Amino acid sequence: MNKLNVLLIEQDPNITSLENELKAIGFIYLKTQYDSTFLRLVKDIVPNIIIFNLDICSNTLFSDLKTLNQQSALPIIIFTRDSHVGTIELAIKADVCAFIVGDSEYKRLASIINVAMARFQHQQLLKAALEEACAKLEDRKLIDRAKAILIKTQNFTEDEAYHTLRKLAMDRNISLGEMAKNVLAMSELFK
Amino acid sequence: MKTFIKVTEIWVPDKQRTHLEFGSGLYGGLVEFKAASEQQQFAYNEGLPGKAWAEGRPLVLKEFEQSYFKRTAAAKAVGLTCGIAIPVFSGDFLLAVVVFLCADDEHHAGAIEVWSNQRSSEQSLTVIDGYYGSLHHFEQISRDINVAKDQGLAGLAWAQGLPVLIDDISKADSFIRADDAEQAGITMGIGIPVSDSLSASYIMTFLSAKATPLAKRIQIWVPDLQGEQLICLEGYSKNPNELAQLFETTTVTKGVGALGRVWLTGMPVITGDHELDYNPELISLSSMLAIPVIEQGRLKAIVSFLF
Repeated sequence: MNKLNVLLIEQDPNITSLENELKAIGFIYLKTQYDSTFLRLVKDIVPNIIIFNLDICSNTLFSDLKTLNQQSALPIIIFTRDSHVGTIELAIKADVCAFIVGDSEYKRLASIINVAMARFQHQQLLKAALEEACAKLEDRKLIDRAKAILIKTQNFTEDEAYHTLRKLAMDRNISLGEMAKNVLAMSELFK
Repeated sequence: MKTFIKVTEIWVPDKQRTHLEFGSGLYGGLVEFKAASEQQQFAYNEGLPGKAWAEGRPLVLKEFEQSYFKRTAAAKAVGLTCGIAIPVFSGDFLLAVVVFLCADDEHHAGAIEVWSNQRSSEQSLTVIDGYYGSLHHFEQISRDINVAKDQGLAGLAWAQGLPVLIDDISKADSFIRADDAEQAGITMGIGIPVSDSLSASYIMTFLSAKATPLAKRIQIWVPDLQGEQLICLEGYSKNPNELAQLFETTTVTKGVGALGRVWLTGMPVITGDHELDYNPELISLSSMLAIPVIEQGRLKAIVSFLF
């Protein structure tokens, strides 16, 4: 954990409280200000975690965080004075792991980072599970449509349609979902 | 692996039936050429489609430069060098013109030929036009021979008035250029009667190698004995395709589905994903060109090329 590579984004580069805490804990960090090069910087240095210390969180920031989430998600901690409900909602939507209003929590930085990292891992697992479930659901829909086509064009029973689809998929060594896509494409050709 | 047909188009008469306008096309990634083509119109005897309409027969244009081809600059920009136009007539009246555009590619083996008896009194066919790519020796042999009715791929298609498909052509007794085809790497061929006017008959032959198939699957559909439904007479692909075979067991009702529409209207159709590049390596079928074979105003068959 001591080798954690931290990107620290400070609104005011003269403020050193978080920096001092990171030094004290023994983390490797890079301190900078937030600007339009943020996403490129993250791509270049590949930090393990990003910590923001900002008075106000702009919409541009949340838009950048959303992009970052889609490209390569990272644990994000935000220290801020901005306690608007709208800002908090945006932070949650951007999958921010810890959103801390006020500056009295700096001393607990090590545990905040630990919790944020653990929450991030958990979020990633949930996301992966959700994506898998969505893909399965999508496959199921495709398979049902392909079965319906086979039932209509070949006068198959539902069972026969399913077994035909499964045999075709096995013969081609592809998934049922992929085979269903092929059946739908084939049927489109003759539509 | 590549195919030498890069673009397939259907040109149809406009409302006044005096010009041909863009009907449909498969261009793969040639987006700019597609954009240039969609705006085009061809008068009777103008450009490749207009010329095929006026001549009343299939045409092969081997060089676009200094020719009647209208889209030379756009074609050159994307490497298209040769074109084949097949008019679809019902009697004297044009229904559509199918155009294939090809690129010079040293790695392909294949040929597209137009055979004719020139005069209706003649009982043998010769090659009057052809695109052979790099198969120069095979071209020379092909242009020197005559085939009688019922002889060879073109002669069989002429005699039967139906499309004829020969697999493993280099070993087929009925294919008189079998040895030469084997040397040229040609493995399959399809002969299609395209125009049977009072003055002459015209047969198109498409010859292709296993490595560079014309299409992933070719099907021949014909009306059943009662003329009530279309049935698939034959389906061919380099590798077995059980899914396509499954669909070939179905029958087609006039007016229903793409093939049913070809039967109803006599018009060729293109269906499926028009933007996708034809990749013979992928087993899935994503687009189809269906061409009717019409004799004396009646549908004799439909040839479908599945890509």
